Amino acid sequence: MKRFITSLLIIAISLSSLANEPDRDDYDDMKNLKNFFHNLEAYGRLGYSIGGTAPLGIPATIRSLDKFILQPNVSFGADAIKPLGRNFGLLVGLHFENKAMHIDATVKNYHMKFTQGGQTLEGMFTGHNDSHAVQWMFTLPIQATYNINNKWRLKLGPYFSYLVSRNFDGFAYDGYLREGTPTGPKVLLGNTDEERGNYDFKDDIRKCQWGLGVGVDYFFTRKFGAYADLSWGLSGFFKGSFKTLDQTLYPIYGTIGIVYKIR
Amino acid sequence: MIFSNRNIAILLAVTALTTVSTSCFKEEPLNAECDIEKAWLHVDDVESTFYTPNDTIIEVISTEDKITFTMRGDADITALAPQFTITQGATITPASGSVHDFSQGPVTYTVTSQDGKWSRTYTVECNRVSHYITSEINYNFEHFELDSRYHNFYIWHNTLPDGSLGNDWASGNEGFRLSMSKAKPEEYPTSVLNEGYEGHGVLLTTRTTGSLGKMNGKPIAAGNMFLGKFDIAKAMTATLKATEFGVPFDYKPLRLEGYYQYSPGSPFIDKSFTEYPNRIDAGDIYSVLYLNHDSRGNSVVLYGDNVLSSSQIVAIARVKDIKKTNGQWVHFDIEYEYLKEFDYDILARRGYNFTIVFSSSINGATFEGAIGSELKVDKVRLTCEIME
Repeated sequence: MKRFITSLLIIAISLSSLANEPDRDDYDDMKNLKNFFHNLEAYGRLGYSIGGTAPLGIPATIRSLDKFILQPNVSFGADAIKPLGRNFGLLVGLHFENKAMHIDATVKNYHMKFTQGGQTLEGMFTGHNDSHAVQWMFTLPIQATYNINNKWRLKLGPYFSYLVSRNFDGFAYDGYLREGTPTGPKVLLGNTDEERGNYDFKDDIRKCQWGLGVGVDYFFTRKFGAYADLSWGLSGFFKGSFKTLDQTLYPIYGTIGIVYKIR
Repeated sequence: MIFSNRNIAILLAVTALTTVSTSCFKEEPLNAECDIEKAWLHVDDVESTFYTPNDTIIEVISTEDKITFTMRGDADITALAPQFTITQGATITPASGSVHDFSQGPVTYTVTSQDGKWSRTYTVECNRVSHYITSEINYNFEHFELDSRYHNFYIWHNTLPDGSLGNDWASGNEGFRLSMSKAKPEEYPTSVLNEGYEGHGVLLTTRTTGSLGKMNGKPIAAGNMFLGKFDIAKAMTATLKATEFGVPFDYKPLRLEGYYQYSPGSPFIDKSFTEYPNRIDAGDIYSVLYLNHDSRGNSVVLYGDNVLSSSQIVAIARVKDIKKTNGQWVHFDIEYEYLKEFDYDILARRGYNFTIVFSSSINGATFEGAIGSELKVDKVRLTCEIME
């Protein structure tokens, strides 16, 4: 996957060198800068994301997804596009967004660890699991763009995010825990505050994330358009040292919204 | 137009990719557990083998790996075929229903999980109980050891009238371990008192259950010890049901005596950690004899929520006002108060269960008490009626 990203970057850079054919004339620095900015486009975006932070390929221990509760996943920000040649361009943006998730799943023999203030209870859980994640972040997308015509634009490239607010908590309920291993003491869990197994892994969430973004813009008018993006996390949601969950979780979110051409 | 088709295709791809990770559920994994959940013996003549039909079936608690059938002293145990309910898909060797000679000692069974990755070993034994004529049963708390699975809390054995050691004493230590897994044996609510009235005694201390216990509305654990079983399955959900009081009993108890010391902790708190400056913790020592079956013959067990109030109760003895004792051993000597007429026929069929309960906080079952309250107990003696 890393090689794929690298090749994408190389393509983007070589495209830009193709477009900026070397000019033999002597321009002064100011003129160069002016030239750079004269066709720079700017866009504002406002969107809403749906998705999840999930393992790639659901493990067999997760039996069903019973609830998927929509979250306040707004995304807004601005992009600059430097046209490079007739159809291509390079997009750099800064977005502020939330990739939250609230799900309820049925699990079987699923490794869990309940923690509170240094005390832990760990084992294999069979029953229901309610998880809630919040990730407010600044995201910097760097994308190659391709204008099919003056209405349609395709986008592809990596993104880098920095989380300013993070949370991942939840509880296991209506089931039972085999403490330690499947042969350990069997402890029933109910569905009141006092009968659940609570967990909170916010301190184990990675602050910096990166991944791959792909999207499409469609302009109804010269200024207004709609967009649909997919951001596929390639860095694990939790730090490498986090071993409580057997699978690595990746944030995968789709965003739809409106785009406005500022200039 | 061609572009709108492409648009639809892209949007579909986006939607598909976001849902792909949540929609592809694999086939259900094979079961990893390997428990004997229930054991039973089918014999042609129940009456001559067992004291009561209820003794033919045993519900096995998840932490138990020893299954004991209690039988008449003269029962024939040379060819018995115990049957088992095990975790779905698991296998058991020797087979459920295979015939064994239990007079040669316990038989070992191995249960292997459906996925083949886990196994548990159980021993099944037949305990032929004869009635020993005695007028006195002593509980001196000299036989204790660390639990065999975790080696981090104490368990006790009682001396049976025939001189052998029984497993009738239980405590909530196992439940405490769930929230305080790092505690040392002497930091558990129920622990060994090195300097008892004579030799060792028991030391019951009301402990904090730490942040995990507090989060689950069980902020304290009173030291407790009782004749019966502790079912860890209910430790989180129905805590009062986790204490299964009583063991089948062969005697008519008359009086209970022994020695205790008590020192209340401070401050007195309730389950939400609210402090009550004017309340002082107290200890509790009581004993109950009750009918272990109802009028239709179904077995009855008394729990934390009805051991002192059930209509099954036949006799109660309770030490009054266990308060601060200033470091001195206090002798208690109380008589059983019979609420129902004692029936020797029921006794002969082992129809009575008997328990003795010690607790370092009288309201510990509802998580009210003071952290640090200490009850020391030793040299408990039960006087029973002499019967032929």
